[in-house]
Parts: sequence; structure tokens; C-alpha cells
Amino acid sequence: MANGKPDFNGIWQAVSSAHFDVERHMARHSLMLRDGPHGPLPAVPVLRLGAVGAVPGGMGVVEGGMIPYKPDAAKLRDENRRDWLDRDPEIKCYLPGVPRATYMPFPFQIVQNQAQFFFAYEYAGAVRDIYFKDPGPAETDSWMGQSVGKWEGDTLVVEVSGFNDQTWFDRAGTHHSSGLKVVERYTYLTPNHVQYEATMTDPAVFTRPWKISLPLYRRMEKDARLMDFKCVEFVEELVFGEHRRKPLPR
Amino acid sequence: MTAKTRVMLGVAAACGLGLVFVQVRSVYAHHAFGAEFDPNRPVLLKGPVTRVEWINPHTWIHLETTKADGKKEIWMVEGGTPNSLLRRGLKRDSIQPGQAIIVDGYQAKDRSNRANGRDITLPGGQKFFMGSSGTGAPYDAPGKDERK
Amino acid sequence: MIMQVRMIAMLAMAGAGWGAEIPRTPDGKPDLSGTYDIATLTPLTRPSSLGERQSLTDAEAKTLADQAKAVAAATNKASDPNRKAPPAGGDGSEGPAGNVGGYNSLWVDIGEGAFKVDGKWRTSILIDPPNGRMPPATAEARRLGAERAKMSRPNRGDAFWITEGISPGPYDDPEMRPTAERCLLSFGSGGGPPMLPVMYNNLKQLVQTKDTLVILNEMVHDARVVRINGEHEPPEIRRWLGDSIGRWEGDTLVVDTTNFNDNPALNGATRNLHVIERFKRIDGKSLLYGFTVEDPTIWTKPWSGEILWPATDQRIFEYACHEGNYSFGGILKGARLLEAEAEKKVKK
Repeated sequence: MANGKPDFNGIWQAVSSAHFDVERHMARHSLMLRDGPHGPLPAVPVLRLGAVGAVPGGMGVVEGGMIPYKPDAAKLRDENRRDWLDRDPEIKCYLPGVPRATYMPFPFQIVQNQAQFFFAYEYAGAVRDIYFKDPGPAETDSWMGQSVGKWEGDTLVVEVSGFNDQTWFDRAGTHHSSGLKVVERYTYLTPNHVQYEATMTDPAVFTRPWKISLPLYRRMEKDARLMDFKCVEFVEELVFGEHRRKPLPR
Repeated sequence: MTAKTRVMLGVAAACGLGLVFVQVRSVYAHHAFGAEFDPNRPVLLKGPVTRVEWINPHTWIHLETTKADGKKEIWMVEGGTPNSLLRRGLKRDSIQPGQAIIVDGYQAKDRSNRANGRDITLPGGQKFFMGSSGTGAPYDAPGKDERK
Repeated sequence: MIMQVRMIAMLAMAGAGWGAEIPRTPDGKPDLSGTYDIATLTPLTRPSSLGERQSLTDAEAKTLADQAKAVAAATNKASDPNRKAPPAGGDGSEGPAGNVGGYNSLWVDIGEGAFKVDGKWRTSILIDPPNGRMPPATAEARRLGAERAKMSRPNRGDAFWITEGISPGPYDDPEMRPTAERCLLSFGSGGGPPMLPVMYNNLKQLVQTKDTLVILNEMVHDARVVRINGEHEPPEIRRWLGDSIGRWEGDTLVVDTTNFNDNPALNGATRNLHVIERFKRIDGKSLLYGFTVEDPTIWTKPWSGEILWPATDQRIFEYACHEGNYSFGGILKGARLLEAEAEKKVKK
């Protein structure tokens, strides 16, 4: 760019299984399991999804492999997994939070000029504006947090705080408190690759900070763009359908 | 003030009740209050705030009321968007749990313990944001533009 | 002396052609980037009492602003601490306050005065038709309007559609409710396009690059991505905010939007809506937003308007809507309850 900073403009997407489970994991039957006679099986509500409901394996994006949950927090994560359909905010099309927004299986767009750095995510139409002047502690909690950015050479460093406690890091029940702070690093690798790192600190929930790292790939299609995926209209039957004048079978 | 200007302005204030709505342009809030609240069920709620949800599309202020027989109830009162308040310089802690408030409004049509925050005041009658820490009158927040 | 100062001020308002400094990008284009607060007391359509007047005098504009300030001060005065509950049967409040009185005025932000373009205080956002009012509606629009009117009543807290035998009723299904109530779009064409002032959260943020203009509307965190020098998508792709492409005409960015879905933000419009917007920097502190609307299903002629957008150093805050939409469930549940009560009465 004219100001010497790397140009991140474009449509980007992560390619990984992080959105299923950020930890190192083998493939498994489903995101929601129940005990079977010879090991876990898909829970009843997801049974008919078959292989489409199965979880692919991944070497994980968490450095060190596993998230350092405190014992009570690990129990809550396990409960979240058992009750995935009712608890995962993604199912209700809620805003994904950070860093989950980055590696959702949807593209996002960076629009960057001399003074502004803006993210538009296809999933749920989430947005983030990066402030380069720190406005101080966030006045209120939000789903996507408050982002304050600065440049370190060719890396954009973004400190995100002011989260509510409603988002997860993936579909595997990984929760946090509203005390979460995330420090992201977007490092230019090649014209079509960005290395993304994020360090999570939340002393109420984790025994120490932990970090994820994965590449982001430029969407190369000539007509690459964000499509509408508000998704709110897709979950109305789920969330409000029981209140129809003539409710449909559930 | 000329009659022309009055029409031009199109703003009506129900005296003393702190209500403003715009008549002239096609205006709807996130939802029309008429869809949610029942004009046949007026309420007057008094009690301490138990929780404030600074969320969109509506802030919800929870308070504990005490009925004549001593029974306690929790009511949720619907306000507007917190974004307006934040730009007026109010902070999340401008209304704290424990703060006593008075709310007059109407109960939700679904008969739940919800009401519209038609007028939310402190026990002395001041609008609830008045007398909150460091805010003063709502229109002198820093950064408000001169657009006259 | 005063006349000369006013002349200079008016020339400055007229924009770059008169030598006013506008911010520019490294490649020489006007830089539209920034945050703007488009709240204004200038209404969309001209009040009939103002006839054909296109502008207010300075004195009238000042009175308007003073009156708004006075109204705000009055509404923020203390209430009676010994007040009773409001009247049973409703408090008579109209419009969105819905006979239950809405909420306190501090939650809204309707603006502090009229806006000025080319040195004139506008009496309406609409400039064409020249009388500042909408062109005639088509027969189809009148028919649709009549259908909608059948479903709408002042709020009496009853299921009128049961007692009056209207079917379908206005609350039968979530899909029948306004997109704003469902948290799909901002109410009142806040996000549009065209983007019109609404009761609160009137902030817009523009982020401009060589090939993209992002228009962030605070409600409902809608980022419209304009592809500069792009081409429209094929007709089977429909979007909530339409599909926007832009091109520079001199120092004006002209944005053309088509491909709306069946529920565009603009009240009454259909999927045949076509909006042309014009973004022109006036100076370092403001931008002139112009638009032309056509929807031959609804209006017999196109209509156009202009709004001055003053820059602001206020910030847009997150507006997560669906995540906290307690009201919507309450509205549907309330309708079911009132229906049950009405049906009991009808049986008697």
C-alpha cells in the first residue's frame, strides 16, 4: 500500500477442521454423542445426518494440542458437548465472536485503506472495525468484542476485549468468560496467504494463555465475493416456530 | 414559534412524561410497541434493579417488585437501544443493581412479567439517567456535533 | 461584511468545484471514508403546510432547532414520583408508541435541526417530484396498501382479526412480520438502499478502497459491499440489500443497486426496486448523499432525494439484534394468547 503496509484487501478463508474442533482430534461420529454398546454413537436428534454429521479429524490449530481448561471449566465444556444442539450459538445463527469468525467455513472480506481496516464476514453478516486509536475499555460487552490494532512491521496486531460470555471457539463446546482477551496477529506470507495467530487469555477459565495458528487462503475465483448468509431467516422455524398460529410438526 | 415550524418539526411531547416520537416521516422503532404491549394492562412498578441487559434491539432492565401481600416478583422493563445511551456518555454502570426505580408502562400481551419502559425514573421522579455518575444532562456528551 | 461571509460559506458548501478542500485517496479520488451521522429533522416528504417551498429561512431553521432543544429539555424534566399507572385502555399515543407510550426520549436520536444543501435549509429530503412529495402510486401499490391496511389497527390489546374474521391474521407466522421485528434489517430503510434517517442509530461508516466501498449501517450491523467497476449479478441472485456496483463520474461515486429480494428495506418496495445513489464529498466535514428510486410496480415515476451527511467522531457500536430479540417471541406468544381469548368470546 502507499503507506508501506502490506495489502490485505480481498476475500479470505481458512481451510481446516478448526471450526469443528480447534484441538488436535481424530474424526468422530458426531458433534453430539451418546453412549452405545461398543462406544459412542451419534445422539438421536442428529442420527439421520449420517456421514454428513460426522466430524473430520485434524492435527488441531492449538499450539500444544489442547486448551488448558481449569477443571470446572473442562466440565462445562463436556456438558456443552453433550448438549450441543441446544447450546452451540452457531446453531441459532448468533454472532460467532473472535477468533471463531476467522475460521468459520465461510469467506470473509478485508477492506483496508490508509486509515481503516475492516472485516466483513459472510457468516451471519458479522463485521469488525479495527480502531487504530485505543478508545479505552469497552463501554459494554459485545459478541464480536472491541478491536484495537497496531502494526508491527508486516504484521497487524489486534487486541480484542469487551466480549460477552456467549460465544464458543468451535462446535466442540469450548466456552470462555466475558473476561476473555484475544490478541490476533495477521502476518503477510505471500500475496495469497496470511498467517493467522490468536492468543487467548481468560484467567477465570484457563490455567494459562493459549494460542492458535493457521494459514488463511485468498479466494482466487474471479467472481469471489461474500454471498448473503444472514442466516437469521433460516433459524426462525427453530427458534420461533412453536409460536405459529398453526405450529408445524417438530 | 410559527405554526409552519411546528408542523415541520413534527415532534410531539406528551408533557412531563418524557415521550417523543416523530410524526412526519414514516417511522417505526425496531418494532411497534403496539404489537407487544397491552393497553388494557397498565402497570406501576417500583423496586430495586436486579439486572441490566445492555443489549440490542432493546435494553432490558430487571427489577424486583413487592406486591401488597409481600410477595416479590421480578419484572423486565423494555428500553431502547443502548447505543444511543453510549453516545450520550452513559456507561454500563450508569444504572446499577440495587438502584431503586419507578416504572410506569403496560404489561406484555403474552401476560409475562414484562412491560414497556414508558417512563423510567429514580424515586425522586428524575429520568433514570439523570443523577447517574458523571453524565449530567444527556445532550452535552462530548463529540455531539453541531448540526444546526 | 455579513453578506460576504454568508457568500463564502455558501460557496464552501457547494463543494470542490469552488475550491473547498476535500480529502483524497493516494490515487486522486475523493475519499468518502469516515463515519457520518445522518439524523435530521428534515422530513422525507414536504409537509403540505409548506406548499412548494423548497427551503426554510435561517430564522425558521433556527426556530426549528431551538424548538427541538426545548422539547428535549421538557421531556427530560422530572416526572411525578407519586404518579399512578398510566390509563387503562391506553394512553392515546400514536404511531410506533402504539397507545402504550413507547419509552423515554433519551433512547431516541432524531436529530437537532434541518440540514443545509447549497446554502439552503431543505424542507424535505425529496427533491423530485419538485413538490417534495411522492409521485402517484400504481393501482397495484394501492391494492397492496389496502391489503396491508386491513391488517392494521390502533392497539386495543385484542385479536381483532378473530372478531372481524380476517384471515390470514397479521401475526400468524414469523415470516409475515416486518423484517425489522424479525431482526433481518433495520426499520424504516435505515440500511436501505436508499439510506434514510430513522429514529435512532443513524450512523453510517464508509470504508473506501480502489475497488470497493463498504457501507456499514449500524442497524442491523449490515455491511453493504459496493464493487467499484463491477457488474451486476445474474437475476437469480437476490440480496437483502440488493447488489451494488459503483463507478466514478468525476468526483461523484454513483452506486447502482438491483437484485433485491422480495423484502427490501424500503417501505412498500418490491424485488423490482432499482436505486441509484450518488456520494459526493462537500468538504472535510460532510458528504452529500443523493438517491433516485424506481420501482415501477409501486410508483408511476422515479423519485429522488438528497441528504447532507455530516461527519462525526462518534463511533458505531455493535447492534446484535437476533441474539437478543426477546420481543419477537413475546409478540407471537401474545397474539396466540389474545386469539385464544377472542375465540372463547366468539364461541359464546
